[in-house]
Amino acid sequence: MWPVASAPRTILHADMDAFYAAVEQRDRPELRGKPVIIGGYGPRQVVSTASYEARKFGVHSAMPGRRARQLCPEGIFVTPRMEVYAAISGQIHEVFEQFTDQVEPLSLDEAFLDVTGSRALFGDGRTIAERIRRDVLERTELCVSVGVATSKYVAKVASDVDKPDGLVVVEPGTEREFLADLPLSRLWGVGPTTCATLERAGLRSIKDVQSRSREQLVEGFGSNLGEHLFVLANGLDERPVISERAAKSIGHEMTFAEDLCEVDDIKGILLQLAEMVGRRLRRAEQRATVIRLKLRHPPFETKSRQKKVAATADDLELYRVATALLESAWDMRKPVRLLGVTGADLVSADAPAAIVKPKQQSLFVAEEPAAELSANQQQRDKLLQAMDAIRDRHGEDAVRHAGKRRATNPWGPQDQE
Amino acid sequence: MKILCDRAALLEAVSVVSSVVPSKTTKPILKNVLLRADSEGIGLFATDLEMAAKVRLDSVKVSKEGTVLLPAKETSALLRELSDPTVTLESTDLRCRIESGGGSFVLLGEDPEQYPAEATVVSGKRLEMPSGVFLRMIQETMFAAAREETRYAINGVLVDAGAGCVRLVATDGRRLAISYENLQTDDDVQFKAVVPLRALNTLARALTEGSKEEIIIEVGEKQVVFTTGQTQLVSQLLDTRFPDYEGVMPKSADTTVEIQKALLEGALRRAAILCAAEMRMVKFEVGDNTLRMIAESSARGRADVSIDAVVKGAGGSINFNPDYILEALRQCDLDEIRLDMSDDSMPAKFTLGESFTYVVMPISGA
Repeated sequence: MWPVASAPRTILHADMDAFYAAVEQRDRPELRGKPVIIGGYGPRQVVSTASYEARKFGVHSAMPGRRARQLCPEGIFVTPRMEVYAAISGQIHEVFEQFTDQVEPLSLDEAFLDVTGSRALFGDGRTIAERIRRDVLERTELCVSVGVATSKYVAKVASDVDKPDGLVVVEPGTEREFLADLPLSRLWGVGPTTCATLERAGLRSIKDVQSRSREQLVEGFGSNLGEHLFVLANGLDERPVISERAAKSIGHEMTFAEDLCEVDDIKGILLQLAEMVGRRLRRAEQRATVIRLKLRHPPFETKSRQKKVAATADDLELYRVATALLESAWDMRKPVRLLGVTGADLVSADAPAAIVKPKQQSLFVAEEPAAELSANQQQRDKLLQAMDAIRDRHGEDAVRHAGKRRATNPWGPQDQE
Repeated sequence: MKILCDRAALLEAVSVVSSVVPSKTTKPILKNVLLRADSEGIGLFATDLEMAAKVRLDSVKVSKEGTVLLPAKETSALLRELSDPTVTLESTDLRCRIESGGGSFVLLGEDPEQYPAEATVVSGKRLEMPSGVFLRMIQETMFAAAREETRYAINGVLVDAGAGCVRLVATDGRRLAISYENLQTDDDVQFKAVVPLRALNTLARALTEGSKEEIIIEVGEKQVVFTTGQTQLVSQLLDTRFPDYEGVMPKSADTTVEIQKALLEGALRRAAILCAAEMRMVKFEVGDNTLRMIAESSARGRADVSIDAVVKGAGGSINFNPDYILEALRQCDLDEIRLDMSDDSMPAKFTLGESFTYVVMPISGA
């Protein structure tokens, strides 16, 4: 009865369980099973996170450390190691990015993922969520709880209801049901004050809110709060997952089922990646001024190299720079498990100021690629436009730059020899 | 130690070795010049531990042999200010008395034993040429070397010997100057050595333009020795790989332009006055027997100067940093020079002498 978005999205909310505390317990076996409190108990110090054992005592985040100590005298206070948490967060994000590039981090341990476009490749939301949970555990030895739903808000509530180590899926169309019995405090932005206001109006649960029409809510609580309550209580949160990366860069990665060792194979993949990134840049009417290469050796050694370039969306230029970066990053001995090419620091394709800044060129090749781009550039642009047009009509793989490629990965375009 | 010698000759010798004395150093003893008097004359020696200079003076009357360390700055200044044609130096302990024309000066020196010893020179490959020629080659290339060292901007000059000729090459990554000379000798000497700019600078000061006196250049594994007449300069070589200069020389050109050097220099200098402060750039427009130079800046205005030229080929336009060209023209002796160019993103070649070539990378994107 309630309108469902024309094509329901699949949104995941991934939330590490007691992240900092879990990291400390992972790294220090003597802390396992104990009430661990990340933070200090000096004056003005607060609790960052508490382990589940400590939470039993009533300790929670943002509580003053002094009070936490009172509640939990055997609590073990640990100074946070932010660099470590940040590094682990990076690892977790690498797992996320294998499934989608639409990742919106909320903090080091929480993120939204929009996997709508990844379902064809990886399966439904539940399947993806299960894989993420498994991969994160394997990668970091830590647990992540995941909520799957058709909107950000519902996914976030879902990830929370079955913590720790939970996976909750809210099937499209069942959002209202799912939310109905939850307390008012579950509504985002509804704290004690608003709760009191709602209760005075006779609303004690989300179900009650659901029973009111949009007009009634706006009339009773004002256009801001009223609208907000309506949207949330009915699971109608349309907000998109804003990948902060997508705005600043466009890239593509491939992980290989079998690690690659041959230079030609790797260059072949780089060419594919460069083509995909080039096409997306052109479609977004952007040009990249920084090109980044990402390389991973099994099991998890990741390297990244980047280079400033004259603004480009040209496949072969991306490929050329990526190959040069590869030479500096890969010693040709270690096998390669993942390759990524990203165009970053984007500028609009027709912004005149972007490219027309005069620059003294260099005699020697490695410093300045622009010096080598001859007057053939116009011809190349025409070629690229023609290729894009063919792809638009016949599909992504219809036309390729010449070159040997071997697709060994299950999540890239298949080889067309 | 006691000697009597020609003041001007002594001043000259002291000046030459003093050019090696460091202006700033953590070792105060290096601010001195070592003077050693023996039966045949005197030798002056100074070093900054990277370079060393040695000059001999024979026409000196040595009454008593010995060694003294003289403060370089004060000694040069004194010798310069004195007016008598001759001067006497006499040392007792660490003091040296200089007497000339009624004046008597005592310089307090340091212990010569503390001064760094002359390193034994490891001899290697050598070549010889008139020192005036070598000086010209240095002048034709040194200006193009980099002031600071970066990857392709070497703070030195390459001396590339082989196939019966020697080339000096200098670059700062944006422009490159080459000067070459055919060698007289038959031996096929072959080496590549990068000489620090400072050493060449010092050497240049000791050489005379047009001099036919031979200079011997001896290159060892890590050092180079320049010997000419009574002067010898030893320098460490730079341990850097010089970029592939032959690779960047343009092999062909779409357009050649022949211009009067004086005309070009004057016009370019005038046009350059109106360059923008943050990016000095002049556009060269090559058309029908004209070279037009345009410079503009939003803050200062616009310059538009045209000169006659003999143009063969397609013509076109290309942008340069005017200083790169003016610096090179200053070292050019020809009345007429030639510019070989292709499109506005390719290096352009200036032929500025019989054996003096200059390659400049343009400014793009304007």
